[in-house]
Amino acid sequence: MSDIKYLPGKEPHANEHRLIFKNVDREGWDTSIETYLKDGGYEMLKKGLGMEPKAVTEQVKTSGLRGRGGAGFPTGIKWGFIPPNNTKPVYLICNGDESEPGTFKDRYIVHQDPHQLIEGMVISAYAVGAHTAYIYIREEFPEAAITLEKAIAEAKEKGFLGKDIQGSGFDLEIYVHRGAAAYICGEETGLIESLEGKRPYPRIKPPYFPAAMGLYMAPTIVNNVESLCHVVHILRMGGDEYVKLGTPRNSGTRILCVSGDVKNPGYFEVQVGKVTFRELLYDMCGGPKDGREFKAVIPGGSSSKILRCNESFKIGRGDDAKDLSFWDLPLDFDTLAAAGSMAGSGGVIVLDDSRRMSWVLNNITHFYAHESCGQCTPCREGSTWMKKVSDRIEGGKATPQDVETLEQIAYQIDGKTVCAFGEASAWPVEAMIDKFREELVSATSEDNDFKSAERKAQEEFMSAVNV
Amino acid sequence: MSSRIEVPKPQTIDRSRLTYVKGGRPLLVKVPHPAKVDRNQLNYLFSGDSEEVGGIDIPMPAKIDVSKLVYTFGDREIVAPKPAVIDRNTLVYLSTGGVIRAPKARRINREELEYLPKKLTIIEQNVHSPVTPGQVNFPPFEVTPELDKKADERIAQYPDDQSRSAVLPLLHEVQHKFGFISPESIEWVAGKLDIAAIKVLEVVSFYPGFRQKAPGKFHVRVCRTLSCAMGGSYELMEKLCEITEIDRSKEDGHKDTISVSPCGNYSVEFAECLASCGTAPVCLVNDDFHEGVTEEKAQALLDSYTS
Repeated sequence: MSDIKYLPGKEPHANEHRLIFKNVDREGWDTSIETYLKDGGYEMLKKGLGMEPKAVTEQVKTSGLRGRGGAGFPTGIKWGFIPPNNTKPVYLICNGDESEPGTFKDRYIVHQDPHQLIEGMVISAYAVGAHTAYIYIREEFPEAAITLEKAIAEAKEKGFLGKDIQGSGFDLEIYVHRGAAAYICGEETGLIESLEGKRPYPRIKPPYFPAAMGLYMAPTIVNNVESLCHVVHILRMGGDEYVKLGTPRNSGTRILCVSGDVKNPGYFEVQVGKVTFRELLYDMCGGPKDGREFKAVIPGGSSSKILRCNESFKIGRGDDAKDLSFWDLPLDFDTLAAAGSMAGSGGVIVLDDSRRMSWVLNNITHFYAHESCGQCTPCREGSTWMKKVSDRIEGGKATPQDVETLEQIAYQIDGKTVCAFGEASAWPVEAMIDKFREELVSATSEDNDFKSAERKAQEEFMSAVNV
Repeated sequence: MSSRIEVPKPQTIDRSRLTYVKGGRPLLVKVPHPAKVDRNQLNYLFSGDSEEVGGIDIPMPAKIDVSKLVYTFGDREIVAPKPAVIDRNTLVYLSTGGVIRAPKARRINREELEYLPKKLTIIEQNVHSPVTPGQVNFPPFEVTPELDKKADERIAQYPDDQSRSAVLPLLHEVQHKFGFISPESIEWVAGKLDIAAIKVLEVVSFYPGFRQKAPGKFHVRVCRTLSCAMGGSYELMEKLCEITEIDRSKEDGHKDTISVSPCGNYSVEFAECLASCGTAPVCLVNDDFHEGVTEEKAQALLDSYTS
């Protein structure tokens, strides 16, 4: 591993631990199968196909791998949900609809290392018993769709895909399916609807858990690109060894994508929970831009709740509870959840003191109003209302009551929709108002209050009475 | 529904059975919704004596002076062309059920009236495909053997009874070749997959990735979401519009998001997160991805395509 050279200026930081991104920005690396094979590729596929499918699942369970798409659900347990008496075909879907604002990890995997993903998919498909797999790739990655299709053809030619893979008797076909620029297709049941050729209206759970009733009402496993790549490394290291990476309950590595107001934004593959915000933002990203200070951080994609840089949090329960300042928070699933936010998809968006919160809020509400699929009324109407109210705040035409109105709308979406988009659109608004209420209110004015002639007369009369 | 009855040519109508109200009240004939004929303005030409009540034979062929008819369609008022004359003989009257009540229950068969607008199909009514200056860059839609072959390959990726899954791939093929999704291409995709055209249309109208009108030769999609906006994507968009003389004021932000330059070479659109937040601001030009495109690099970006 130590002889790997990276392109100048793209060398990994010392704090990084590269598994998935081992080949990203690597010198002399390309997407061909020869390069991948020369580096020991597809060895884990052979190893995996030599094991019992259940043993592969066991390894993934032991590894404690949690889904890297946003929800952080344990991958091995998800695989175990396929009904044991199932007679229908099983499908595996790779969710490559990376569309959470702030996240850009899958882009590099599918563009620079497609064979790693294919190897991970073959092993996973073998473990869950799928003979057809789809890679749902977002429309905005046209090059990636071509790269992946080429890689699939190469793998097929070499006998890593198709009928009787490597003489194991296991068949698998992988197809690339391009989306069409809809954020909601990142939601697994929405993605399935989209793959069926419909509008991607998410299905309600229960009963439509994909593992039981997914694509074409057959058991379906939907995993993120990064999660599927981790399977290769779990087999290589063994579940027992993999679980030692990171911290308990947050094992392995994950890719943090930093964007916004830092000197060196970019992607960093680190052991989960081994890096704090201070290390990430100051050591790895070079600190704030000159003459600026950090103000707030969105830690896991735009749907996660914003954290203020001068906050402190009580983490842990009972005797283990301790107060941690924002800067000492490790970036793992459980700590960020305890801090009231979430690790989500690993997209860290950093805001410095030059950013007006009303502007940030306005940008985010526009995104969610555009991307709501329109199936559930609270979300369809609410996201548009939030956009309108935040337009008023940003345009200086709001009254202080508008901030309260906005908060009320957000809480009326939260928890009242079929899929998690409702929360995704409401949480950032709730958190931003909660943490920056004064700043938002200061952007409003009582003078903007619209008063009808009747109300004016009423107030005039009342003030006269009071005198 | 009413049955269609052809009124024979020399028919006489027994006036005594008609519910005419002489004088005062207006006589209104109800023509099937939404058209209405204002009877007051009809000018009947009788050859006989019109003063007599009852037992008047309306001579055939009577003629309606169309210049005085006022047709109302929904909220529009159409005045029929002046010199036109409707020949009563060719009109088909529809009764409301067995008994003919002429003229009260008379219906005019709209299909025989020349000046009525053609009935649009549901696809034509709902596809928003205005002609743009970018149209010149793309061939009109036609089914080539090559397209047909590609479509069959895509359909083969899905289980035999699930060909509907191929809607998105087929639409991508169409859009890639013809620039946008036209009503004819929707009909073709629907026919190819053996599903109703509305099921294709609902997909086209949902996904922002499908265009319903022709973009420019170089279609620039600028990311507008948070990280790129902080990196200056709004400034980039302004600069692009300034260079290419694009007027974005007609966009409505949801349905019509593409603006084409007058020369037809360029078009711009704001896209949501293109997933490269670390190298903001980013944009896609057709299928090419460009990162770190600040306002200053806008001219060079466009030049790299036109030169």
